Amino acid sequence: MDFKLTDEQVKLRKEFFDVCKELEQKKPQGYVGLESNYDTDEGWKYHLYCAKEFARRGWLALDWPSQYGGKGTMMDRVFFAEARGYYDIGGADVFGVEMLAPTLLGAGNEDIKRRFLTGIASADVMWCELWSEPNAGSDLASLTTTAIRKGDEYVLNGQKTWSTGAHRAHWAFAVVRTNPNAEKKHQGLTFLLFDMKTPGITVKPLYYMDDGHYYNEVFLDDVRVPVKNVVGEEGKGWQVTQMLAGFERSNLGAIMCMQRQLEDIVKYCNETKEGGELLAKNPLVRNRIAQVACDLESARCLAYRIADAQSKNEMAPFDASAVKITSGELQARVAHMVTDLVGPYGQVKISRWAKFNGFFETWYQHHFRLNIAMGTNEIQRNIIAWNGLSLSRMK
Amino acid sequence: MNIAFTEEQEMLRKAARDFLTAECPKKKVKELEEDEKKGYSPEIWKKMSDLGWQGMVIPEKYGGQGMSYQDFTILLEEMGRNILPGPFICTVIEGVYPIMDAGTEEQKKELLSKIANGELICTMAQLEPNGLFDASGITLKATHKGDHYVLEGTKVFVEMANVADYMLCVARTGKGTAGDGITVFIVDAKSHGIHVEVMPTIGMDKLCEVQFKNVVVPSKNVLGKPDTGWHIVENVMRRGAIAKCAESIGGMQAAVDMTVAYSKERVQYDRPIGAFQALQHIMADMWTAMQTSRYIVYQAAWMESEGLPCTKEVAMAKAYVNEKYKWVTEKGVLLHGAIGTSREHDIPLYYRRAKSADIRYGGTDFQREIVANKIGLVS
Repeated sequence: MDFKLTDEQVKLRKEFFDVCKELEQKKPQGYVGLESNYDTDEGWKYHLYCAKEFARRGWLALDWPSQYGGKGTMMDRVFFAEARGYYDIGGADVFGVEMLAPTLLGAGNEDIKRRFLTGIASADVMWCELWSEPNAGSDLASLTTTAIRKGDEYVLNGQKTWSTGAHRAHWAFAVVRTNPNAEKKHQGLTFLLFDMKTPGITVKPLYYMDDGHYYNEVFLDDVRVPVKNVVGEEGKGWQVTQMLAGFERSNLGAIMCMQRQLEDIVKYCNETKEGGELLAKNPLVRNRIAQVACDLESARCLAYRIADAQSKNEMAPFDASAVKITSGELQARVAHMVTDLVGPYGQVKISRWAKFNGFFETWYQHHFRLNIAMGTNEIQRNIIAWNGLSLSRMK
Repeated sequence: MNIAFTEEQEMLRKAARDFLTAECPKKKVKELEEDEKKGYSPEIWKKMSDLGWQGMVIPEKYGGQGMSYQDFTILLEEMGRNILPGPFICTVIEGVYPIMDAGTEEQKKELLSKIANGELICTMAQLEPNGLFDASGITLKATHKGDHYVLEGTKVFVEMANVADYMLCVARTGKGTAGDGITVFIVDAKSHGIHVEVMPTIGMDKLCEVQFKNVVVPSKNVLGKPDTGWHIVENVMRRGAIAKCAESIGGMQAAVDMTVAYSKERVQYDRPIGAFQALQHIMADMWTAMQTSRYIVYQAAWMESEGLPCTKEVAMAKAYVNEKYKWVTEKGVLLHGAIGTSREHDIPLYYRRAKSADIRYGGTDFQREIVANKIGLVS
């Protein structure tokens, strides 16, 4: 067993961290986490700026085959994610770079790869995901948006919801029902790509509890999409969505974000007094922070195990579910801990009164995304139970 | 980076599992727990020495196998999974390693090969009635008189002192309350003035009170140098912490396996109880707790094996695993329903051992305080 990185890996990892550290200096005020890419114009501009910086270094195509402009390894992607997480910056389109690109590489034909991978690598095209519907969240296969074939086009009708950044994205990938009469609901689904400027698409904001605009409802009224934009085969869309499990799932980005948070919390406690005594010397505070440090280290070690396995083309799907649950719930606990620690300021949002520049007050409201999106933690538990422990599926 | 065991290590694991399954089934575990005199099986102990287990980390020149600390933790994982009552951890962690670290050539030659052969059982007498794990807890006095020392005081929670041949006694020879002035003595357990009594504990693991009343120990039995022995104890605490964590991971695996298996057999409301989502989620969380424990321990064991500084990583692992092992086994008992609370059933063996493992070599709050210091919180 060996947890050590090679000298080359250490050097490359440092390069990622150095560049991200520079980019952090340009972060707009109040930028916290993924949602900040989409909410304000400043956030979006910053996200695009970072994306271009990464694109010119070839970092948005890490671990792609070289014939598609790729370079580097899966571990390089992991280190890059760590650096972005640590400095909490945007720039790597989670939908295009992290979800769609591996899917196209795995399931797309040459025409699809040729037409779409370049735009992802160059950061010229930003994507959104159109999956969930009002009646199809965790049970995605129950979706009802139809795509009826007419000649060399599909005509789409339906409604998608909770689409992050759809109001900003250039293109979308969607799962739609091409065969409404399929025997089982998982059958008859197709994975499609289309331009968000296609006539018939209406995007309406879904305001979050903090009044931010991150998510959207997307209405599709007779939207015409070329048949050649199918990824994989018609009717095999479910299998293509399952392939998204092939994208990097160590969650090291989120874990490194918390590592940075921990360092900032320690600094705060070392400098802040309460009742005449430094917070750092309060045994309850020490114990609580130490517990977070231990939990974070355990998540980090498991995440590295996943990254190591994936770099060898071995899947560790249940470990990935475990780390998703653990890191998401840990982020919630960290937000709760800090908003407790700062006393009445724990309720203050980004403003001149806010502690940590409003970072933890934001996470107090945003941590739900980590525990609900990409398969709720309850679904992850089902996956572990049904597939990992072979317990009966519910009927 | 390669976060996986080698083929040889997996073979070691399999061999250990097969041996323990055959030699120490749960019926034997319970018999040994109830055995008031010994608490271990000399027959199994002998067979273990024939396999080279006691000598696993002892250099070949002293009759051992010269294997690594990480290899040793693989064995411990299997012992935790199967449960093996006995003096294995204390003999290796509290006997072998301190002698290897700080012993004279004479002490090494005298003791290590006998330990490797299964002829000697060792343990360390460290904790005192104040229950403190740090150096300030050491008050047992050792007074220097010419060519010997005289030990006076009481130690508690001394593992398997009832059967030990040697006890490494941590005593205060200097003034003050800190780490300076601490000396470790290799004490013949049959010395006049030693009185041992087994303390009844949740783990039924033969932790003993040992009274030292004017116990004479030759000066040549000082381990290392007088007044500077606390580092020996620190090494024991660190290696012991990882050892207990490794054992705990094995125990968690057993608890998860047992609980999942039971949930598939036990039928209520016309279906196996494992079909109910509420229970499925608890079992998924048990599995997750086990997996998240695994790699933080493997990292600590690897660092120790490589001789890398790892005080922080070890404290993190111990603090984390302490809580997870207790939680997993508690849920295991609960998911078995009433039968899970009975002496007859096997799941409570793990629940009880989780409490014992928690405290051994430093409980959660002790470890978290180390972590707090190491991550930079001023104190």
